[in-house]
Amino acid sequence: MSLLVSASAVIPASVAVPLGGAALLAGFSRLLPRWARDLIAIAVALATTTLTLILMDASAGRPMIYWFSGWRPSAGMVIGVDYAVGPLGAGMASLAGVLASAALVYCWRHFDSARGRHHALVLIFLAGSVDFCLTGDLFNLFVAFELVAVTAFALTGYNAGYPGPLQGAINFAVTNSLAGMSVLMGIGFLYARTGSLNLAQIGQALAGRHADGLVVVAFALLAGGFLVKAAVVPFHFWLPDAYGSAPTPVCVLFAGVMSELGLFAVIRVWDTVFSGLAGGVGPRMRAVLLGFGILTAVVGAVMALAQHHLKRMLAFVTMSHLGIYLIGAGLLTPLGLTGASLLVIGDGLAKSALFLGVGVLQHQRASVSETKLRGRGRGLAVTGVTIVTGALVLADLPPFVSSAGHALLVDAADQAGLPWMEIVIALSVIASSGAVLRAAARIWLGWGDIESSDADTGTADDPGEEAEGRSDTAGAEQTQDRRERSGQQRRVPLTMVLPPLALLAIGLGLGLTSGIEEHAAVAAAAFSDRAAYAAAVLGTHIGSITSGGRIVVPASPAASAGGVLTDLGQVLAALCVAGIALDRRAWRLRRALTTGTGWLRRLHSGLVGDQVTWLAAGLALLAALGEWALH
Amino acid sequence: MSRRARLMLFAVAAAGLAATLGAGLAGLPSFGSQISAYAQMLNRLAPQQRHVTDVVSAISFDYRGIDTLFEEFILLAAVAGISVLLRPLSDESRQLPEDKAPDRTIPPPSPAVWLLAVFLSSLLVLTGIETVTHGQLTPGGGFQGGVVLASAFYVVYLGTNYVTVERFQPAPLLEASDGVGASGYVLIGLLGLFAGASFLSNVVGLGVTGNLISGGTIPLLNLVVGVEVAGSFAILASEFLDQTAVIRTRQR
Amino acid sequence: MSVLAYGVVAWLFLIGIYGVVTSRNLIHLVVCLSVAQSATDILLLEIGYRSGGHAPVFVDLPAHPGPAVDAVMQALALTDVVVGAAVTGLLLALAVQVHKRAGTLDPDKLRATRD
Repeated sequence: MSLLVSASAVIPASVAVPLGGAALLAGFSRLLPRWARDLIAIAVALATTTLTLILMDASAGRPMIYWFSGWRPSAGMVIGVDYAVGPLGAGMASLAGVLASAALVYCWRHFDSARGRHHALVLIFLAGSVDFCLTGDLFNLFVAFELVAVTAFALTGYNAGYPGPLQGAINFAVTNSLAGMSVLMGIGFLYARTGSLNLAQIGQALAGRHADGLVVVAFALLAGGFLVKAAVVPFHFWLPDAYGSAPTPVCVLFAGVMSELGLFAVIRVWDTVFSGLAGGVGPRMRAVLLGFGILTAVVGAVMALAQHHLKRMLAFVTMSHLGIYLIGAGLLTPLGLTGASLLVIGDGLAKSALFLGVGVLQHQRASVSETKLRGRGRGLAVTGVTIVTGALVLADLPPFVSSAGHALLVDAADQAGLPWMEIVIALSVIASSGAVLRAAARIWLGWGDIESSDADTGTADDPGEEAEGRSDTAGAEQTQDRRERSGQQRRVPLTMVLPPLALLAIGLGLGLTSGIEEHAAVAAAAFSDRAAYAAAVLGTHIGSITSGGRIVVPASPAASAGGVLTDLGQVLAALCVAGIALDRRAWRLRRALTTGTGWLRRLHSGLVGDQVTWLAAGLALLAALGEWALH
Repeated sequence: MSRRARLMLFAVAAAGLAATLGAGLAGLPSFGSQISAYAQMLNRLAPQQRHVTDVVSAISFDYRGIDTLFEEFILLAAVAGISVLLRPLSDESRQLPEDKAPDRTIPPPSPAVWLLAVFLSSLLVLTGIETVTHGQLTPGGGFQGGVVLASAFYVVYLGTNYVTVERFQPAPLLEASDGVGASGYVLIGLLGLFAGASFLSNVVGLGVTGNLISGGTIPLLNLVVGVEVAGSFAILASEFLDQTAVIRTRQR
Repeated sequence: MSVLAYGVVAWLFLIGIYGVVTSRNLIHLVVCLSVAQSATDILLLEIGYRSGGHAPVFVDLPAHPGPAVDAVMQALALTDVVVGAAVTGLLLALAVQVHKRAGTLDPDKLRATRD
């Protein structure tokens, strides 16, 4: 009981703490010395992580409903804004906290934080993510979406002295603000039909009815907007531009949290609002979501193989894995969602470790081009180990938690009658991890041709990191090159090397925790149960915290020996792909692949006009598919 | 894509999008026919429950106050982002504008312009304060009034010159007001927690409807938002002004 | 009346997106984005409109005031305006820097991020 009482203050504190910390850093940064700014930021991020972890524990099995400003529903009508805290949402928020903390530790001392404003933006990003994951109100979801987006736009263009980050930020801002407009229109349509902004109440109003044109369009606009954030094909074109040129700590947040938030919103809105529609909409919507997921996974993997710009490569790897999460969540079963959520956690930690590792390379060698860095990995052994391990974890290396998620996802696909899905997922994972391993082999072992016959992007003459020596413009990078050539190598700071290792260790630890699959299954089941959620939210009239209805827990199969063998097979195959990619004798194969995929690579032109056109086309397509699925 | 290909794809996409929006708009209730029961209830109850006459303010700062907290931080984040994007980079430096000819200073503004600026900026400050403080009574509030207040900054610059503006509205003060406004909202929200109620509950005395001080925390929140927005937009103006007037590439 | 009122929303959104797609100047692009944004604001306000209604401000009302319009939609539109202003500011700041660093404001001439 005492935990419940104190938990009632934890819920608003989980957003009040990062917001207050950010306001402090933004307003009074001139009064604080450099170390104080870094320390405050790290402390606030860790505090937020602790709070969300407490919430994840306290809400297991029973959603915690918190009404802001004290406005509880009256006469069956929701008046105020609520947070509906469940373990899945709180877990996602905790992941955001962990990654933000790791990113801020990485920034210690050697990152020019623009007098603390970078840290303020990161903390606001974190607060927005926490709000996004915990809220039960559709408009509050939109506001959180925009908050995360605005901070992300600014952080992407951080190295404002180079055209790359500026263009990336513009592409990101234009496409994602159009996405926000789409979401808002969808909210307007739903409000006009149901008279409410609360997820549970809208769901109740739509339940048991057939979807008409307005409901279909509302779904298409909402899902379309969130899928832009999630960088699902054809809404994804902004992602490599933005992730490829944002500073490293920001990439950590983007890859580990931001894309996944888009997916989280789609599933959240589906589960709480649209899943109760009459007419057996589930199977057809599953087909639509799976189609987008497969397309995203494949396109991301192919494009990752074609990259020599390390950050762009990791961006496409992120996108490909997001397609896999969409496949898992798009099965629209609790088991699929369980697998997807464990993958999100495990892969999120690994991807962030990869970005931090690439960041060290950028800091020490002033380049992110795989071909330019050939053989120059000498002296950065720990980073090499980090990157190789991260790539293997992404290939579902057991016993990391991502392999458990992968096993559950494959099981869920089997249960849904789609055994071939396993092959699609395996191919994407093998290709994307193979690309990273190829890069690692080239950089650390010096394998591969000196002059690569593959197309070099040229955009990999990349912005230097925001190092202490202010290398934020093209001119400053030359100074850094001169310094390096004269032999003055700096030691890699511990605060840059340890965070990625810590993230990988967390992934390993979670994977070794017995019962993690059961916890995840309970969380996913609670997340997917619309009727119980509505009862919990709308039935509230005693106090701020209440318990929800009973949740039925599906049986979750433990990772079997077969699953472990499949995962090891994937890992081996990824290593083979890397080897083949570098082998001199396979040049014909490489050239065939390059010409075969040229059209796809040319589509990624980096021009904002193209990207918006694809966005409009995607929305129209989604509306047509939604009409087929829901009507 | 070539420009032609892009236009062709867009034509198809726009047709599809037009059909989509048309289908959605066709499902809306006839224009002007009804409003939701939620809105009707709030219109009926807000004046009694919160002792305010402007229901929009009551919704923004009380019923849905948490949304406005995040909205305020969107503005804070945007302005912090803009100041980060426009900061002097390592190949640039700040050089205050000065007349390069010896024995001369920048000519002062003409008396007519200066007088107009004084008059306008005073008017704007008064209007801004009035809008901020009367948010719970008439349309207005922290956001609107804050913008009006910040425009006084622009008018002062137009009527004088950059150096004067910098002297009277120094950047640390503007940033501090930004920080105070944003953290003020969070602190008022925490008041509710300390009083044993929910975050952002209206726990201050409600006063009499129609008075200047009424609505409990609503005028307080209006005030902090006004401070924050005024500071934010003034910083915004000064950042863009810096780019044109002050930041120059370092001469090697 | 409904067709015209709601048709404006679709028209503004589409013409705004058209402007973004065919834009040759970043400043023009930002303004077109604002046009598309205004479509969403208008949609919200129109959903909340009631014929013969007055603003949801209950002071100095006539003797038989009639119904008030939807105040919730107005609060939402207010939030949207702030969001739009924030994004516009960021994009303009980016445009200023792009002009300095890339020498052009034409979005189709920016070639720094491509494959």
